[in-house]
Amino acid sequence: MGDWEELGQAVIIGLIFSYLVAKLISIVLSFREDHLKVVRENDLPEVEQGSEEAEKSTEVVSSSSTDGDIARVRDVSGNFLTEGSLLDDDDDWEGIESTELDEMFSAATTFVAATAADRASAKVSNDIQLQLYSLYKISTEGPCTVPQPSALKVAARAKWNAWRKLGAMPPEEAMQKYIEIVEELFPSWSSGSNMKNKNDDVSSSSATRGTMGPVFSSLILEEGSENDLRLDAIHIWAREGEVDGLLKSIETGVSVNLRDSEGRTPLHWAVDRGHLKVTEILLSRNADVNAKDNEGQTSLHYAAVCERHDFAELLVRHGADPGLRDEDGNSPGDLCSSPWNF
Amino acid sequence: MSYRKYDHLPAKFCDDLRLTVVVVLNHRRHPVPNGAVCVSTCRDKPNDHGPKRLNPNSPLRSPSASPDQIVHSLIFPSAQQMSGGDEYSGFAGSSGDDQNPTPSVSNPSSEVAVDPPSIDGASIDAMAHKIQESLSLSKRHRFWETQPVSQFKDLGDTFIPEGPIDPPTPVTEVKKVPYNLPALYEWTTCDIQDDATAAEVYNLLSSNYVEDDENMFRFNYSKEFLCWALRPPGYFKSWHIGVRVKANKKLVAFITGVPAKIRVRTDVILMAEVNFLCVHKKLRSKRLAPVLIKEVTRRIHLEDIWQAAYTAGIVLPTPIATCQYWHRSLNPKKLIDVGFSRLGPRMTMSRTIRLFKLPSLPATPGFRKMELRDIPPVTRLLKEYLSKFAVAPFFDEMDVEHWLLPREDVVNSYLVESPENHEITDFCSFYTLPSSILNNSNHSTLKAAYSFYNISTKTPLQQLMNDALIVAKQKDYDVFNALDAMENESFLKELKFGPGDGMLHYYLYNYRLRYALLPSELGLVLL
Repeated sequence: MGDWEELGQAVIIGLIFSYLVAKLISIVLSFREDHLKVVRENDLPEVEQGSEEAEKSTEVVSSSSTDGDIARVRDVSGNFLTEGSLLDDDDDWEGIESTELDEMFSAATTFVAATAADRASAKVSNDIQLQLYSLYKISTEGPCTVPQPSALKVAARAKWNAWRKLGAMPPEEAMQKYIEIVEELFPSWSSGSNMKNKNDDVSSSSATRGTMGPVFSSLILEEGSENDLRLDAIHIWAREGEVDGLLKSIETGVSVNLRDSEGRTPLHWAVDRGHLKVTEILLSRNADVNAKDNEGQTSLHYAAVCERHDFAELLVRHGADPGLRDEDGNSPGDLCSSPWNF
Repeated sequence: MSYRKYDHLPAKFCDDLRLTVVVVLNHRRHPVPNGAVCVSTCRDKPNDHGPKRLNPNSPLRSPSASPDQIVHSLIFPSAQQMSGGDEYSGFAGSSGDDQNPTPSVSNPSSEVAVDPPSIDGASIDAMAHKIQESLSLSKRHRFWETQPVSQFKDLGDTFIPEGPIDPPTPVTEVKKVPYNLPALYEWTTCDIQDDATAAEVYNLLSSNYVEDDENMFRFNYSKEFLCWALRPPGYFKSWHIGVRVKANKKLVAFITGVPAKIRVRTDVILMAEVNFLCVHKKLRSKRLAPVLIKEVTRRIHLEDIWQAAYTAGIVLPTPIATCQYWHRSLNPKKLIDVGFSRLGPRMTMSRTIRLFKLPSLPATPGFRKMELRDIPPVTRLLKEYLSKFAVAPFFDEMDVEHWLLPREDVVNSYLVESPENHEITDFCSFYTLPSSILNNSNHSTLKAAYSFYNISTKTPLQQLMNDALIVAKQKDYDVFNALDAMENESFLKELKFGPGDGMLHYYLYNYRLRYALLPSELGLVLL
């Protein structure tokens, strides 16, 4: 009899103990989430009401897709930029390339992510968040195939159920519905996201650099030792090929042979930068075609060094002397890397 | 990889934790009220160096944040099991673009700075400064924080040993089947020796690979170059991975690895060099890049290789070295015409051209092209020379034959053979990487030479490199590019190289260095 009692006791104690262990495990499992809820409840009343929704919808709609979507907008804008160069191989992209719908969808998800991040944004109900979440999942990943989350995780389970419920909805339809919901919630969303697109155009440059692999680098402009060079307006007009400014300067009585601090005339500058029109005007205004700079070089030297054959011919026709030598004793022909006859 | 340890956990469990972590991450973006419980607050560390904030995510792995660390390190298993999970959505950008500006959500006050450097302060400071510069917006590296790569906050921590981060696992435990792709696409292995495939790869890259910031140039690796770059001794065909559209078999994405013996300090490690990650411009919204990276990693693991080297133009966790590109104009007029360089308003074209003029013939007696018979002495020279650097390739004769024996329009190598005793004393090399010039009516291709490996024992390095410039000019290159790695800094300014706007960051996968290297400690060039 005593044995029975003891055994019964042991069984009961064992049952109680295993119940406690199971309870403990389930508490531990659900601990973190519950814990976080406590945090949020503490946190949010102090902040604006909207941010709770905002935060939740970041979570729900595009948990960590916020960043991806931004990259995506960049890509969309990149597509616009390069549209021209891609047109030629457009033959068999039907159905594969990002369609207008794709781009619209991308923009919408970006908008939602941005809105979600914005504390002052409007409230979005839980149901709609779940709807957006499930449509997003269908659009990007297709039908739900991941295992069902544990029943203890209410939020995860709700998301999973929402996703699962949509079954094998085609991604296009999901995108369309997603856009419709966003449209309904925020009728003006697309104007805002267009602005975003434009902003991203500017920053898209850094996106191209954001690649794993090599980097394309080009030269940084370095101002050399020429900083003490003094130029007059007429040199700048000639350098920039500004015909109107140049003519105005000449009309106000500025000499067409005015020298800068290196002894260069406007003709030197025009030939150096390859402005044919300005060169012709200067020659027609009787600019000194054989004027030498401080190194003894004529405009024809410049044309030879810069391999501007048409300019050299023009200068020679206007009386430039191919035999003049600079301080180093070089004629224009000596400075030209490819042999040519004046 | 870190997720291996958690493989035994049930998928559901991981998934739940993943979602939980997402909540944590989102929550972190808001100010933490005083009464908030431990999960949120214990991450905040005293912050001595206010402005030196590096990465909004780094606090997640800070040593005092043990509860989070546990949770955080569990992100990856779920990401891995839920193929197509959101964690690596940061990669949605072009090619592994992992920079994820999170506008208006990041809260600087919740970020934690890198610990003030106690040893070797100068280089860390420089490093931190560089990283800061590159991180104009707060960026998130969710993907990389789950990977066995050294994290920003570990920089300079003398308690963490240098070396592999995760130990190798038995190959039998590596996932056997490829990662899932979106439904429209399928994996393919690209046989680069097959002409048709090589043409497909060439076409994909030449229309979609790396461009400059202003989209004026795009790398145009030649077919011959790709064949060379992808088929070094012992290469694995299975590491040349493509993605095709199921419907029409069009190649739309690509990534490669090649094996390389790389010495890190005293250890020679067989690694993979990962390169040529490219996703078609029209498919950049489809998130293929992260799957490509994971797939190439899987195939590398299948060959029992657990380390990799790669470069990127952006800062990821964590560069082992950061180099700058320098450019020597060979054809300044063309470079200016196409917008590669600009003419200062006070500079004349004429003077610029004269400034960059080079003699027509190399100056060093005995300077000649490398030949087959030079392989043994060149290998000896290289071994000796590269041993100076902390990280450098470990070349045997087979590697030298492959990588350095001249190939027309791919790689050029010259050496100095002493006229007296016919000893090989010096060596220089450069590879050919043209770029397409986009939207210019006069020029379509920029022909660039890239400095490869250079060794001087008798001829001064500056003179040797000047001769390299001369032969490059003879061969009609427009520009000669060099990183400030190895001993290059000693000749860059003198030989009229100008600084470029491109920074190249070097990375090791699953290998940790305690401190970032100076460019001059780095002896590795990746193509």
